Amino acid sequence: MGEPIDCRQAAARLQDYLKQELTPELAAEMRAHLERCRPCFAHARFEQRFLIMLESRARKCGCPGTLRARIESLLRAEMESD
Amino acid sequence: MAEPSTAGRPFDADALPHLDALYRVALRLTGDPTQAEDLVQDTMLKAYRAWRQYRPGTNAKGWLLTILRNTFINDYRRRKLEPVATDLEAVEPHAIYRAVEDVDPEGAFFSKIVDDKVLEAVDALPTEFREVLVLSDMEGMRYGEIAEALKVPVGTVKSRLFRARRLLQASLYNYAVETGIIPPREDHDG
Repeated sequence: MGEPIDCRQAAARLQDYLKQELTPELAAEMRAHLERCRPCFAHARFEQRFLIMLESRARKCGCPGTLRARIESLLRAEMESD
Repeated sequence: MAEPSTAGRPFDADALPHLDALYRVALRLTGDPTQAEDLVQDTMLKAYRAWRQYRPGTNAKGWLLTILRNTFINDYRRRKLEPVATDLEAVEPHAIYRAVEDVDPEGAFFSKIVDDKVLEAVDALPTEFREVLVLSDMEGMRYGEIAEALKVPVGTVKSRLFRARRLLQASLYNYAVETGIIPPREDHDG
């Protein structure tokens, strides 16, 4: 693990950290910063709650049954014509 | 003509499980249930005909969403008279966290806003931001997958996602203040 990162660097990495898109080394530096910096930890928690909220709203709707049935029957027709 | 299949994998077994995700994204992109249904249907037929191009073992959901998004851009987007945002990268909305850290540091107000209002706010985002936010934060696609689907660099995906989240948070924050879910920000020197 490299040098400890400061709040500005932590803020720049926050989005990638929450998306789990940081390399293991950069993620470890980020975690170390969040463990010792209360304001950055609070900000990260806020952004994470926002993302959890957004994902849960997204999952509430799905493909209507009528559309599913229509697509299945269209695909059957396509397969038979091949 | 050989039946479209990839290494013996039938199309329906790999594609049909993703209908819910396809419909959700279609709904957010078109903003209209009827158009969303048409878009999903067109996508599935295109995907069936292109099934031999799919590499087994790769992400079928990402592959299907790429076809859906391209179909939307080519065939659907023009139906909506939407102004083309020219300077998207310049949009720099405020970080809402700074406005609420004293009254609601955990962002509980987000959870108090009803589903329809949250989705309306997503739908109001400019297309370039909305599609990245929906694919990333609502459907869990990785930066690399989104970059491939949109044919833009990963850095562009990241900057659009950053701004999309900020815009959406600002919109939800304004709604929460207007409806009294959270108190307006007080002037610190007032």
